[in-house]
Amino acid sequence: MGQIVLGVGDYGASNTPGDDVKTFALGSCVSVIFLDPKTRTVGMAHVALPDSSINKAKATEKPGYFADTAVPALLALMTKFGCHPRGKGIVVKLCGGANVMDTNDTFQIGKRNALAIKKILWSYGMGAVSEDLGKNYSRTVSISVSAGQITLSSPGKPNWQL
Amino acid sequence: MTKQITQEELQKIVQSIPMLSASASQLLQVASQPDHDLMDIVNLVRNDAHLTARVLKIVNSAAFGLVNNIASIDRAVSYLGERVVVSIAIADCSSKVFEKELSGYESAGGVLWKHDLRTAIAAREVVIQSGADINSELAFTAGLLHDIGKALISDYLHGTVTDAIELLTAEEDLDYLDAEEKLAGFDHTRAGYELAKAWQLPDELAEVIRHHHEPSNAKEEFRALVYAVHLGDNIAMLGGFGTGSDSMRYKLDRKYTDYIDIGPKTLATIMLNVDIEFEKLEGSFHSSGEKN
Ligand SMILES: [Fe+2]
Ligand SMILES: [Fe+2]
Repeated sequence: MGQIVLGVGDYGASNTPGDDVKTFALGSCVSVIFLDPKTRTVGMAHVALPDSSINKAKATEKPGYFADTAVPALLALMTKFGCHPRGKGIVVKLCGGANVMDTNDTFQIGKRNALAIKKILWSYGMGAVSEDLGKNYSRTVSISVSAGQITLSSPGKPNWQL
Repeated sequence: MTKQITQEELQKIVQSIPMLSASASQLLQVASQPDHDLMDIVNLVRNDAHLTARVLKIVNSAAFGLVNNIASIDRAVSYLGERVVVSIAIADCSSKVFEKELSGYESAGGVLWKHDLRTAIAAREVVIQSGADINSELAFTAGLLHDIGKALISDYLHGTVTDAIELLTAEEDLDYLDAEEKLAGFDHTRAGYELAKAWQLPDELAEVIRHHHEPSNAKEEFRALVYAVHLGDNIAMLGGFGTGSDSMRYKLDRKYTDYIDIGPKTLATIMLNVDIEFEKLEGSFHSSGEKN
């Protein structure tokens, strides 16, 4: 039983039953979750910003940080667990991308993150089957590899599933 | 229902907080004077042997990765910059405030300091990247102090998180300041302002503490600075470094555009720089100072 904790810009995967893949306190960051029923592998990337063109060096060092580099990096990692290289059969779920109250367009980083992720997913013919995006609170995400179950939590709220 | 804080109790809480050290207090005064220079800071540090030792230890810590040790205090201060030196002085004498466990927000000890440091870095980045006519070093210092009020009222908010969230879910127009006031009697900006007065902080810093959630109510002469910290605070929360249950449950004061011009791309650059700078500074404050 292990815990794989992903920080901002990290990505990871596991097929070990009993493992949990976790990330804490998503704000405007978006968590991209890949579940592969065939190989029973769970993958996640903690995406901070939409577009790697603002800092190529950072994208090389931490591909999970940007939407456009996170999805290919996570797919490549999943392939090592026997998943299809273009994501065939993988179930995609998204969460996070929160705003502050009364936000304006500039501060909708969460929305831009989610859009950029969807765009790159489309280029692989992939799309999210469920999502919990936006609103104005932080989300902690925990995925159990055995059950493929995604549990979300936020202070003062009962836990919920995605 | 929790106990409401009365005005007298708030004064007692404020008095229970240790005063700033003389050096920290003087550094804050000097830092808010528009025409000071770095030598004024150096001279203040030099007069405090303990602070001098701390500054030298931090500049020579592994986090900064210097090839040759810095032994002179003026070189150390100019290398670290005014903002880092002021932070060291504040952190040193008020760890009781910054390291406090915020149980009223369901946050562990150290979370407030991290949020404050993120806010400080982000406020400075906002000024630099936007080119706004605001003292970026002072924006940093103000960011560090903006939420001190949370440490004062947190204990009184213990056990209220579910009630607070239910209230804010039922009444969408309310923010966490409203919840704090309803549940504890004071919100963290008003409580923090009382501490600012007791600490005799310069007016601009007190103004940031009081109005960082609605800078349009700040005094005109300090308003741009308050906006810089306001944006820094929002950037810290969006980046996943809030202080717990209240994270992102505040309003953006959209009139910031009258003072600070940033677009989506600049904001992305700011957020990335904040991550990079935070890692460096966080490490240096917590390092043992041993490099060899
Ligand atoms: Fe605040
Ligand atoms: Fe804050």
